[in-house]
Amino acid sequence: MEARPALSIRRSDPKQLSNLGASGAMSSSMPILPISLQEKYPKMPDSQQVSIERELRTVSMAQHVNPSVSNSAVVGHLFSSASGFSSDLHFSSASTLERHAKHTPFISQSSNSGASLPLTHSSHTGLFQSVTSSSFAKENSEWCSDTLQGILDLPDNVPLQNSQMQSGGGVASEDCARQSDWQEWVDPLINDDDNLATDWSDLLVDANVADLEPKNTYQASQQLSNFSLHQSQQKIPAHSGEVCPVASPLSSGSSAPTKPRMRWTPELHECFVEAVTQLGGSERATPKGVLKLMKVEGLTIYHVKSHLQKYRTARYRPDSSEGTSERKTTPLEDMSSLDLKTGIEITEALRLQMEVQKRLHEQLEIQRNLQLRIEEQGRYLQMMFEQQCKSGGMDKPKAPSTPDDPSAQSSELIQSPSKAKASEKDKAETENDATHVKRIEESSQQLGCKQKKPETETSDNLKPTTEGGSLSPSAKRARTHDADASSAKSTSN
Amino acid sequence: MKFGKRLKRQIEETLPEWRDKFLDYKELKKLIRLISSASPSQMAEAEFIYLLNAEINKFNAFFMEQEEDFIIRQKELQERIQSVVATLGPTSIRPLDADYREEMRKIRKDIVNFHGEMVLLENYSNINYTGLVKILKKYDKRTGALLRLPFIKTVLQQPFFTTDLVSKLVKECERTMELVFPITEEGERREEEKERTTVVAEQSIFRNTVAALVTMKEMRRGSSTYSPLSLPPLNLPDSDLFQLHSPVPIV
Repeated sequence: MEARPALSIRRSDPKQLSNLGASGAMSSSMPILPISLQEKYPKMPDSQQVSIERELRTVSMAQHVNPSVSNSAVVGHLFSSASGFSSDLHFSSASTLERHAKHTPFISQSSNSGASLPLTHSSHTGLFQSVTSSSFAKENSEWCSDTLQGILDLPDNVPLQNSQMQSGGGVASEDCARQSDWQEWVDPLINDDDNLATDWSDLLVDANVADLEPKNTYQASQQLSNFSLHQSQQKIPAHSGEVCPVASPLSSGSSAPTKPRMRWTPELHECFVEAVTQLGGSERATPKGVLKLMKVEGLTIYHVKSHLQKYRTARYRPDSSEGTSERKTTPLEDMSSLDLKTGIEITEALRLQMEVQKRLHEQLEIQRNLQLRIEEQGRYLQMMFEQQCKSGGMDKPKAPSTPDDPSAQSSELIQSPSKAKASEKDKAETENDATHVKRIEESSQQLGCKQKKPETETSDNLKPTTEGGSLSPSAKRARTHDADASSAKSTSN
Repeated sequence: MKFGKRLKRQIEETLPEWRDKFLDYKELKKLIRLISSASPSQMAEAEFIYLLNAEINKFNAFFMEQEEDFIIRQKELQERIQSVVATLGPTSIRPLDADYREEMRKIRKDIVNFHGEMVLLENYSNINYTGLVKILKKYDKRTGALLRLPFIKTVLQQPFFTTDLVSKLVKECERTMELVFPITEEGERREEEKERTTVVAEQSIFRNTVAALVTMKEMRRGSSTYSPLSLPPLNLPDSDLFQLHSPVPIV
């Protein structure tokens, strides 16, 4: 079977780990982790819980050393969110509310620079104390999820690779590698309970290194989610053809936990079809038989069952599988078979429909790419603001002049919003969107040279605003004030 | 027009089975309103995030379900084409012209609709993403938190947003189309095309597609919060095609 060799090849390539390959990645489990952990952790033996809690405490304390504002904001915020989950799941108690009260001041203050750190620390220790006093299982689930989320959020420097990988489409291979690593990690975790504690601390300590290498973080977060998801008897989501069950504990929390979602690919489907034909066709083949024949790791009988069902429906009535709207047009088909001219007209109509669809597809692709780039820029700006806060603001002029393309673009984007807007308006009307961002970059770069001077002013400008509310929105607002004015004018036209 | 309204309109126009799969923008906005910036209302914030995650799970589940269907259908379509060409086509042992043409017509229609559905799924993914970005922006504004960036980072990796496979299937479909459709000249056909469209076009899918394009265009037209980090205005040549959309008289 093709799956096997592919898997073994990937196994040996550690380089692929460093790509936080986008699609269906393990961090897709991030938003849904808390619930899964909540569901599953109470079932864990006490010894594990104790060790985990201990490890988490040490790790969470260690995390505070990390001066990055966004990180603590994220972590802190997620604390409250995780606590919120527990309360949602009928775990409400007075202590939970207490902790909420402690959380929120933290959140609103965490968006300020620097000064929040001591506060962070004290509120955290406060939280820690309340942990011991409250119910055991609940705490553990929350803490685990909190730390997990905090850690999964850490790799900020990776996202640039992310989007590149996404558009690169070289996902499958990375996911295979990741998976195989998960396998390697899962087995020792299952077998040796004592290892759990040590694994935790190793993983979490790794993740806490500031300015992590993407690889470390990635492995750490992989293994973390692996660990947690394994507890819930689910595998990490991946996009590859081999084994792609996707954890969706939130939904599965309400129903049976044995329904992990599978992400099928054409290759996997090929494998499936081969197995089915070997067994004598879709009617004859049984899920068990197909599962055996396919020999794909991680594939469960539920996956095969549901897929087989779909397959049967598709084969049996290929027309009806195209959607309900099909039925409405069957009378037209009779017409067309009689009248040749009508047939040609129908073809032309279909062609037109196809054109429109193609257009939508194009635009969606472009829009998606733009959205990705916007997020990249946003993250980069965020980073720069943080760095600026840390360094005290006067180093700013250096940053944009670095040879990095993205940095030049983003800083110039901030500096010249009104000019960029103007060129946007002029050019976007007459040009393809694909070249839109390029244009902005070009015009920004032209203007960038002239704008070195204003940069020092803006860095002063930034400082006072950071005390106020959240960093980037207010700074952006200051920047885009001109842009808004000009846009208001143009939209009113 | 506000995003919420546009989304609602899009949902109304969409395929019926999809109606409840879209982002519950309204509900999320309600939750945000409940979050008063004065007193720290932890419950509302927690509920908000809970709902957000639930929505994302919903998207993922639906998206992957559809994706799976597409994979199966694509394979079936390929096999069907092959068998039709083999048994009834000009190169077969007993070419049956009428039947062949009949089958090919059916296939063409199916391909186009298949293509349409896939593109609509991509649109579904995109519109939900846009909604998420917007709602997170509102949330950050309201609470002063910095939830948006890290949250979006994970969203970008969710199955429902990673539409590479669907995109690939769409392109393959387009290639197959070219092989399957007879070659005709452009030009005079254009006028007839437009008329026939309203009579013959596949109702929901085509209509949906046009609606999606129009929505996209409108959403990007610019707003009070337009910034360098917003999407640029959408420029579509031949946009008169989409004027068909408003009162499309469908048979």
